Amino acid sequence: TLRLIYTTTAVRRKNVGASGPEKYTEAFIKKQIEEFNLGKRHLANMMGEDPETFTQEDIDRAIAYLFPSGLFDKQARPMMKHPTEIFPEQRKIQWGEDGRPFHFLFYTGKQSYYSLMHETYEKLLNAQKYQDQLTAQDLSPQKEKKNLAGNRWLTKIELEEMLLEKLSDVDYSRFIQLLQKLLTLPCGDIEEKYIQKFCKEVPAQLKKVVIEPLKYDERGVAFSTGEGTRKTARATAVVYDNGTGKITVNGIDILHYFPVLQDREQLLFPFQFLDRIGKHDMVCTVSGGGRSAQAGAIRLASAKALRSFVTEQEVEFMRQAGLLTVDPRVKERKKPGQEGARRKFTWKKR
Amino acid sequence: RDTPRASVYSPPLVPCRLTQVRWSRYNPSFLEPEVNKELYQKSWEQLSEEEKEKMELKAVRPIKAAPPTVSSSVFSDPMISKFTNMMMKDGNKVLARSLMAQTLEAVKRKQLEKYHKAPEDEKETIECNPYVIFHQALKNCQPIIGLSSITKGGKTYQVPVPLKDNRKRFLAMKWLITECRENKNRRMLMPEKLSQELLQAFNNEGPIIKKKHVLHKMAEANRAYAHFRWW
Repeated sequence: TLRLIYTTTAVRRKNVGASGPEKYTEAFIKKQIEEFNLGKRHLANMMGEDPETFTQEDIDRAIAYLFPSGLFDKQARPMMKHPTEIFPEQRKIQWGEDGRPFHFLFYTGKQSYYSLMHETYEKLLNAQKYQDQLTAQDLSPQKEKKNLAGNRWLTKIELEEMLLEKLSDVDYSRFIQLLQKLLTLPCGDIEEKYIQKFCKEVPAQLKKVVIEPLKYDERGVAFSTGEGTRKTARATAVVYDNGTGKITVNGIDILHYFPVLQDREQLLFPFQFLDRIGKHDMVCTVSGGGRSAQAGAIRLASAKALRSFVTEQEVEFMRQAGLLTVDPRVKERKKPGQEGARRKFTWKKR
Repeated sequence: RDTPRASVYSPPLVPCRLTQVRWSRYNPSFLEPEVNKELYQKSWEQLSEEEKEKMELKAVRPIKAAPPTVSSSVFSDPMISKFTNMMMKDGNKVLARSLMAQTLEAVKRKQLEKYHKAPEDEKETIECNPYVIFHQALKNCQPIIGLSSITKGGKTYQVPVPLKDNRKRFLAMKWLITECRENKNRRMLMPEKLSQELLQAFNNEGPIIKKKHVLHKMAEANRAYAHFRWW
């Protein structure tokens, strides 16, 4: 029996665009757009704002003010958005009045997918022909290595939205394989424009997090705070500059609070990684969890606090060493019919 | 107590009757953390092509949290941590780690004794670093071929099979631990017996090396069945 464990909102969301031919006619959508624009101007008038410069954020705020709702599901609350967001794009009817379909691949069932594959293969053949021409003229093809790390292919859901058709996993993987083959050819640079339709930029991970500036306390010593969690333990750490390397946890020295060597090693890990063992003082508070979880929580908190003292490159090194990620592992729940999370009851034949 | 649901990942569903039991709390795009400080101290030009590509990939992907057993200090060694985990019983890591520390101390003491008693010219050949002794002893204990039971035509044959690196290391550590647990006198403690076995393995003597040679001889004897292997 299969057990589906991984679900996100994206997976659960129904791909309405691919479910079938259109349920909303074009005239209907046009009328909805007109009504939306009119309603937007009325709303701006009601709120006392200028109808010309009334943005979508203003609309959302106005609706939240006029119709307050305590419902948990955001999609169930009253909303006023442009009709193209509410009525998703759907495929128009694929055949004419005489019943004859427009597209020549209609009877394959997945017409947009197969036409896409045909186009991509055509580009591949073009690239190969170009390469043959170059070798015939004895010119070597220039190979500039494109940086692939910053881009990712479109996911299956995004491709489905683009094609307005349901895809299977096998279809999707075959398409990605074709694109990768096109990339590896030496003359693939010609088809770059075509390939970029299916690429997306991935920003560097570092830029997502904002590093706080240093704060100064009454004595003029620089300090910074950080918070960390691990399993059920929550910790806050305050790291002071110009220190002797003394670390205090809940008012107790670490030698007394953590008798085990492994925990103390974990506390000193961020400092040892940055070669700043004797230079900082630390005062932390921790609650919840067990011995090892508290140590892990303090480690994360101190690493986060140290980010403000250190250059950007060192912060990137800390992230690559795994010091700045929250550990998502928690205790697995016990299931009914089993003794523990994984352990089953003793199997008796009779 | 909140159970975060969106960060759970399981591999994509396979369309036949397979139960997915192995899953992880991390998304598959997360990469393993690299704790070794020396890699980060190298400047950009000194890195080779592969390492540059890896660094570029790491800049874009998220990275898993470092486990609590791993640290960037000089004292943490992946092989020693693996061995400590194998020695651990009922999750008592504190006891296992203290036993390991006592073993390494005992090895160092014995070697220092030997060092002070030896004449001048032999002093350089005696190895005093317990980590080096541990690594060398494990290397000496690793078998090269193993036996695998393959059923063909109703009969089960023991076929000689090349072993992977992980499997070799695992077998060496397993033999060491079982040897120390079973073949010791009633009053002898684990660290003492382990240090004895480690030093014997370092000099290529002792029961574990003998076990390795026996396995090699069996593989040599069953050479005729080697063609039964299909991988």
